[in-house]
Amino acid sequence: MESFWLPVLILLSSLLTGLGIFFLGEERHFARTVLNMAAASVKLVLVSMMWIGYFEGQSYEARWPLLPGIDLVLKTDIFALVFLTLSSGLWFVTTLYAVGYLEETPQRSRFFGFFSLCVSSTMGIAMAGNLFTFLIFYEMLTLSTYPLVVHRGTEDSLKAGRTYLIYTLTGGSILLLSIAWLQTLAGPIEFVAGGALQPNDIPLPVLRIIFFLFISALGVKSAIVPLHSWLPKAMVAPAPVSALLHAVAVVKAGAFGIVRVVHDVYGINLANDLGVLKPLMIIATVTILYGSMQALIQNELKKRLAFSTVSQISYIILGVAILGPVAMIGGIVHIVHQGLMKITLFFCAGNFAETLGVHKISEMNGIGRRMPWTMTAFTIGALGLIGLPPFAGFITKWFLGSGALHAGEDWVVIVLVISSLLNAGYFLPIIYQGWFMEREDPWPFEHHVGPLETNWMLLTPPLITAILVIASGLFASTSFSPLSIVELIALVEYPP
Amino acid sequence: MNPLISPATTFEGTLLLTTPLLPVLMAIFFIIPAWRSKLLIIAPFTGLAGLLAALLVEPGATLDLPWNLLGTRLGMDATAQTFLLFTALLWLLAGFFSYGYMAQYEHQPDFTAFYLLSMGGNFGLILSQDIVSFYLFFALMSFASYALVIHNRDAFSIYAGRVYILLVIVGELMVFTAFIMISTQAGTIYLDGMSAWSSNSLSIGLLLLGFGIKAGALPLHFWLPLAHPAAPVPASAVLSGAMIKAGLIGWLRFLPLGSYSLPEWGMLVIMSGLAAAFYGAFIGIGQSNPKTVLAYSSISQMGLITIGVGIGLIEPNLWSVTLPAILLYALHHGLAKGALFLGVGISTARLSGKARKWSTTAMFLPALALAGAPLTSGILAKSALKATIPSLPNPWPGWLDSLLPLAAIGTTLLMARFLYLIWHQAPGKKPLQVSTWISWILLVICVAFIAWTTPAAAEYSDYSLKLSTIWLAVWPIGIGLLIAFISVYISVRRAGWRLINIPPGDVLVLLEWTSKKISLPPISHISMVGDQIITYLGGAAHTSKSTQIIFKIERRLADFTIIGVLLLLTALVIFGLSLVTP
Repeated sequence: MESFWLPVLILLSSLLTGLGIFFLGEERHFARTVLNMAAASVKLVLVSMMWIGYFEGQSYEARWPLLPGIDLVLKTDIFALVFLTLSSGLWFVTTLYAVGYLEETPQRSRFFGFFSLCVSSTMGIAMAGNLFTFLIFYEMLTLSTYPLVVHRGTEDSLKAGRTYLIYTLTGGSILLLSIAWLQTLAGPIEFVAGGALQPNDIPLPVLRIIFFLFISALGVKSAIVPLHSWLPKAMVAPAPVSALLHAVAVVKAGAFGIVRVVHDVYGINLANDLGVLKPLMIIATVTILYGSMQALIQNELKKRLAFSTVSQISYIILGVAILGPVAMIGGIVHIVHQGLMKITLFFCAGNFAETLGVHKISEMNGIGRRMPWTMTAFTIGALGLIGLPPFAGFITKWFLGSGALHAGEDWVVIVLVISSLLNAGYFLPIIYQGWFMEREDPWPFEHHVGPLETNWMLLTPPLITAILVIASGLFASTSFSPLSIVELIALVEYPP
Repeated sequence: MNPLISPATTFEGTLLLTTPLLPVLMAIFFIIPAWRSKLLIIAPFTGLAGLLAALLVEPGATLDLPWNLLGTRLGMDATAQTFLLFTALLWLLAGFFSYGYMAQYEHQPDFTAFYLLSMGGNFGLILSQDIVSFYLFFALMSFASYALVIHNRDAFSIYAGRVYILLVIVGELMVFTAFIMISTQAGTIYLDGMSAWSSNSLSIGLLLLGFGIKAGALPLHFWLPLAHPAAPVPASAVLSGAMIKAGLIGWLRFLPLGSYSLPEWGMLVIMSGLAAAFYGAFIGIGQSNPKTVLAYSSISQMGLITIGVGIGLIEPNLWSVTLPAILLYALHHGLAKGALFLGVGISTARLSGKARKWSTTAMFLPALALAGAPLTSGILAKSALKATIPSLPNPWPGWLDSLLPLAAIGTTLLMARFLYLIWHQAPGKKPLQVSTWISWILLVICVAFIAWTTPAAAEYSDYSLKLSTIWLAVWPIGIGLLIAFISVYISVRRAGWRLINIPPGDVLVLLEWTSKKISLPPISHISMVGDQIITYLGGAAHTSKSTQIIFKIERRLADFTIIGVLLLLTALVIFGLSLVTP
């Protein structure tokens, strides 16, 4: 029984919250905040229960037949658990942040309602046991994030929302197409470690085409070049949205999907035999370099961070596309590490905008004196993305580099080096400006006066995630670090 | 695991852990404004942990922290012991020096916080017995010292800082690549497992270049004569005395020295070292800032140490003799150079006539030591190095025996120039604090005596007291002094004669001049090559055709109709394919 209900409950904990918030009136701020935080805590508890169950050997599956041969399946393996934990943990801090950020703004009911639906969809994507379920929740994610993107209702927001919808709905259609095509040829596909697909008599060129259709479809959300343009545009959304979208929900869902397709649908060996891994590596490389080069020339902080995300998500894809457990570990652990680091940076960007009206990097001179804690969190996130020890990003870089060498793909190390150089090129100047330059002009506006540098609800989340960034790197070899858990995934996908 | 390594006792383990950790923790506490004044007083004492570790921890003791990073191991061995000894002494004494000295400048807490971070990094990399911790501490030290370089915030310091950080990043990336290659091949991140890795030209080249940047080896040395003078005096002392040795220890740890012979690389390294020895002297003599003279002297001296590393690469059987020589030389140079830099700080203070005379005279000691005068640590170090030469294959002994004395003449000229500049230094206005001059005197005493206490000294002390050795040391100094006096005499008498004045940053200035001639797009007046690339990209992005095209494509991609057409095309393609496939 428990194996059926726990996945369902995890899904319902935010689904019901969302519905509840819609029915709660706009003015019921306190009740809504309590409901939010309670639900986020409940979800964390449920996920922990699932972890304990997993380590005790319990397996979780919830299955409904929807159509003949097509079931809705919620299943958890360790990869799903990693994504669940990341999403629920970051949902918790982002909710706190959003409550503080959106204080005194209209339409908070609508915002938090769709926020919760968005997280439910992410839970569904994480726990999806077959391609069909994955598709359903993937589309639900698109629909629930659109209102968040256009939340402010301005002309720019609406335009950005439209772009977002066009890209993601197109991607969704192509996803539907690919799934339908594959299932017509090979029957219903459930995710199986090592690959569910039995190629049998399906012609190889067809398999290759379907693979690339999958990648294009999932690549929209993963912001692969040239399908990435929606991401910088979506920066008009409020900071909590950018934080969640870019760290957890949307981009990670795309990357998660790609990992699932490569490992649990096709299987790494079949993919290797088909020869689709090399092109995938090249796509990832192009995105890594292009994203960073675009980031160099942005003056708006959030746009620079957006292009940085474009670049960093492809680290995950690169890791998955390289044959061998070491690179895969590097890629998948970056889902967690990049999530933590990027959300820290977006929280800080939101703090700067909200407290001091600073949106552009050129306005950031001397911000470290005024907001030292936020700037420290920013520095930690930035240094982590450049790949310096002891931060989490270094662990990723180390594993990706080693994995590439193990697999004989030495050129990837050069790509990593160039990418680090570019990252340093667009993060170090910000750090320099923030800490080492003096400020002459007054801030665009000073919104906050109080003992702390800003509202405590805006200050605490980036500090929490920054500490996690340090901990994930420094304590990477303890049994509960993201690295150790992901190494368990590698044992499953690459049995010794 | 190597049988010579044993787990450290609790006391040793605590020392090993505290040495790098304590300064870093203390630096973090500087964030709290209320604690800063107290922290400033305690900060100089943190170097003591390193000193105690160097004196009390037995070589072979290791501390394993498997849960940290990818498995951390800190440990002591012969190399670490010598390095830690002079490094800790320098940071300790320079720390006390800066307590008094920096009080008269702004932002002393910031300086001290970054001083502590760099100290922690320096100590940590000496004690690291695994590649990941080494990289961590190396990065910490390099990045934290950036703040020391730009501390004065004037145009020159900021410029120097930019060159510095760019080369730091380039060096880090080279070292990172080499590290990944080595550890993947050796299958371990622990140093004692790494002798198993077989050499690969690329990794050796990356190691030599990457750590060479830090050690001031040609041709990527040009950050040194900018950064060391730009930083405040106590920072310059530790930069030149301790931090550039981090490049050296990188070579010692990761090159297959003593394992097998790499004659071509060895030859290259020796030639680079010789070139640096003479180049540093040549350019340094013409400088008008005493700190720049010292910086070029560091390049020159590190060149001599590099020769030692080259000898190690050519003749691995000699390594048991070569390594102590290199360590002794590093110790000697570190202490002497530190003392000289701090001396610059002393000479710029407000001193009475007698105090000025005494301090300048006291500076003769480290200067003579560097020149290799008898009874100083210099002659010990040079004897040790010379002892490795006869066993080299021909024709090295002949060449080195004739070239090294010439390098000694160069060093003497540099020291003469330095002392000349100090002698004519305009008196300063700021009074001298107690902690400043006491720490300096202590350092000078260290220069005089410490080298003689090392085990290597015992071997060479008799040799260095022999008349023949003394003569070999004295005649280059004599000639050097003669040249110095003649040139001073000439410059006083005939005002037309001047020393060639090459601006500091030599190669860099040449690069900038060339880039102006090739006329790259608008670059600011004080920018440098790497920065130019970024500015070029940024500037070009708004003007170049290709970027305009990219922007246009981006805008079009977002266009509804295009997406619709793409979708239709995709559907048609699929439909068509489905007709074709069985």
